[in-house]
Amino acid sequence: MQKLIFFVVVSVCGGFVLYPLAFLVLMALNTGPPTAWPPEQYGLANFAGLADSPAVLLNTLYVSLLSSGMTMVFGCLLAWILSRTSVPGRGILEQLMGLPYYVTPLLGALAWAALGGPRSGLLNQLWYAMGGRAPLVNVYSPLGIAWVMALFEGSVAFVMISAAMKSMDPALEESSQVLGAGKLQTAVRITLPLMTPAILGTAIFVFAEMLGSFSAAAILGMPDRFFVVTTAIWTLILRFPPDYPLAAAMGLSLFAIMAGLMYLYGRIVTAGSYATITGRAFRPRVLKMGWMTWLLFAVCVAYLVLAVVLPMATLGYVSLLRFVTVIPKDVHWTLSNYQSAFEMAPVRSALGNSLLLGVATATIGALLMAVLSLIIYRTRMPGRQLLEYVVMFPQSVPRMVFGLGLLMAWVVMPVPVYGTLWLLLIAYLTVFLPLGVRTLSGVVLQIDRSLEESARVCGASWLYQVRTVTMPLLRPGLIAAWMLLFIASVREVGASVLLVGPRAKVLGPAILSSWESAGTQLTAAMALVQVLVVFAALAVLVATVGRVWRAGDE
Amino acid sequence: MDRVSRRDFVRGVAGLGAAVLGVPGTARAQGAAPREVKGVLTTADVEKAEKEGALVFYGPEIERQLIDVLQAFSKLFPKIDTGKYLREQTGRLYAKLTAERRAGTYLADVCDLTDIAIARDFQKNGGWARYLSPHVKAYEPRFQSEASGHFTWCGADVVGIAYNTNLVPAAEAPKNWKDLLDPKWRGSLNFKDSASGWQGIQWLLFRKMYGDRFWKDMAEQKPRGLASVTQQYERLISGEDKVNGIAQFSVYLKNKEKGAPIAFVFPPDGVIVGPTVTGVVDRAPHPEAARLFVDWLLSPVGQAAYVKANYYYSLRKDVAAPPGGRPIAEMKVLVPDWDESVATHGQYVKEWNALVGLR
Repeated sequence: MQKLIFFVVVSVCGGFVLYPLAFLVLMALNTGPPTAWPPEQYGLANFAGLADSPAVLLNTLYVSLLSSGMTMVFGCLLAWILSRTSVPGRGILEQLMGLPYYVTPLLGALAWAALGGPRSGLLNQLWYAMGGRAPLVNVYSPLGIAWVMALFEGSVAFVMISAAMKSMDPALEESSQVLGAGKLQTAVRITLPLMTPAILGTAIFVFAEMLGSFSAAAILGMPDRFFVVTTAIWTLILRFPPDYPLAAAMGLSLFAIMAGLMYLYGRIVTAGSYATITGRAFRPRVLKMGWMTWLLFAVCVAYLVLAVVLPMATLGYVSLLRFVTVIPKDVHWTLSNYQSAFEMAPVRSALGNSLLLGVATATIGALLMAVLSLIIYRTRMPGRQLLEYVVMFPQSVPRMVFGLGLLMAWVVMPVPVYGTLWLLLIAYLTVFLPLGVRTLSGVVLQIDRSLEESARVCGASWLYQVRTVTMPLLRPGLIAAWMLLFIASVREVGASVLLVGPRAKVLGPAILSSWESAGTQLTAAMALVQVLVVFAALAVLVATVGRVWRAGDE
Repeated sequence: MDRVSRRDFVRGVAGLGAAVLGVPGTARAQGAAPREVKGVLTTADVEKAEKEGALVFYGPEIERQLIDVLQAFSKLFPKIDTGKYLREQTGRLYAKLTAERRAGTYLADVCDLTDIAIARDFQKNGGWARYLSPHVKAYEPRFQSEASGHFTWCGADVVGIAYNTNLVPAAEAPKNWKDLLDPKWRGSLNFKDSASGWQGIQWLLFRKMYGDRFWKDMAEQKPRGLASVTQQYERLISGEDKVNGIAQFSVYLKNKEKGAPIAFVFPPDGVIVGPTVTGVVDRAPHPEAARLFVDWLLSPVGQAAYVKANYYYSLRKDVAAPPGGRPIAEMKVLVPDWDESVATHGQYVKEWNALVGLR
């Protein structure tokens, strides 16, 4: 039984990950007719073509560097303020910093498009009304894309960096101050260098995420004639005739860059020679910043305003208007956008599908990934390191590229899965493997082996031991993984856009499609309805999980 | 390909048999005597269609308008649910449709397309289930597939130039297509992206009329390729762009009604006629509902609903033009050579992608 479970889980995961990638490689090497399968001719012409016109790759690198830079500034600054200084309301602010993750770059880009269009953006309209002549901001630009991506990835960087900052011994900072250095001097000369590995690691992680990001580049880049790899793949595939080989070659190139970065990330994270975590007990101390406290507080609030309050307020305002304007005499309020929104597919079917998929992905995923974590970190199964590598592999594949691989892989299969929710479920389970396994393995590694060993010594079978000892101990990890997987799949866009169909619409792509064809006001209304429903669903889930948890303890 | 012609052949024989012997089967609807149901002349089995209970529609129409058309049908036949539809621009819609069919997933019952080249490719691959609606007779042969019954024009739009009247005085506005090449429009022109069928028609027509140079010079103007007509007009009305170089008259009329600051130009060299064709999809999961829908859509009742929702022109002589629309007969119209359109489609997509920034 144990062997059977292992075999099924391992082969399913291996298949999920490797099968679509094999298609991607074969398709990228296809130099025959682009839609023929299997390819009639192989060669490197698609890659040569990329080298001849590298604009898309260079655009991608450019905007990713720009946004990673900004993200790191946001992340480091916020993490430093909230973990090392005495700003008021630190606890609440820290909780609130997670919000941009829920707002998502997709909604962020929609809102910022309404705010920062050079002529019609609300900010620019205000600016012109005050006598400005040239546009104040223009979000339809590489800088605009980078800005939006940085705002919403900023909260991820914040979480990663502040975790590291909290585990840092403040003795070195204290010594610096004792020796007469100022607070800012200490921050720059002591704190920053000590944090280098964490910051570098986060930067690489963020940069890799940026390379594969899609929504902001689609909404703010394509109208500006600016294409990155993900939007180019989207354009090349959803055309007649579709150019699968070129899209696959672009995807593989991006994957190669990302894989290299992830390798580097792994090296940096494991090779920490900047030991500040010692056995000596320390008390996390915060710096008293005097008059600067309020400035730092303002920085935190400003970030939340730009990433959460302003975008949501903008969507709310726009959704109630007949025309997008800030000139009071031109404002005509209406509820008709909401009336329409409830009749349209994104709200009617996509919302239900997304919640259903979220629950399915989280439930199947959490169990599957728990078994995988146990196999990798708790057994002596041969090849478990290889398995770990395979499971973590999707980390270095942009989700859009994975979607492309899945599309190609399942279109030629005799099983009619393409265009149904099943394929989306397969896609989500695959792309979120690293997320789930990482979350669960953290908990698996914390459980003392001796507890499990006692069960075995007392004569329990492996399955019985897992059911009665391991799983109960894993419960907090399972719940955390469940929530993460649920949220991640509800907000997913990149892998989904190529896989949706009339019976398989999901939120992200549905909002994107409304943005394309339904107009700003209507899209804003739909997006808001969806956000509210997802939040409500989350609240219900949290409450239920909490009750189940407590019930289990009694 | 072989498989398709064989299927066509079998179907042809079956149709012949049905016509001669009155045998029920695949071609029953085509041989059956039409009857009028709720004002719609149809050969579909309405009871069976209602038992099927749903109709899955694929179309490139503006989503809100597409829903209005589906709801008009559902109002007449409330037992047929039309809530599952797929709205994408024609190029994308067809990419999805062909991918699904290759994967053995058959979801679409009826499909609308705005590109004859693509509709013909679909026909060549056996994608349409040939169905001779009793209404096809009301459409001139040039508004049908070559062998009628595969697809029929369910509407046409007139395409010209539109500009923002707040930003462009009438005297300075473009008067004809070639005026779009004036450097003063650099960076403020919008077109559609390469998923648009009508963009392909314009690309081909102007290459023939003005030579290859036209689009090479247009590239210098740095035009935007947008994902839908909604975006084109939204950007025009808000002033983000000054001129829409492939402006649909229908959407102009709708926005003008709401008081938008825009004007429409009928270029003296001719307006482009943009077709929308419809047909029953082969292996439709709800075949009777599909036939009933196509009968309704091509009937005077359905056409009136279609014109009302989309402000397109009907190709039927007994259906009125959209409100505010000039009769199409008064305009000089440009129609491409459809065979050439089929042959150059791949080239169009590549060149157009490059023109709007994907190079």
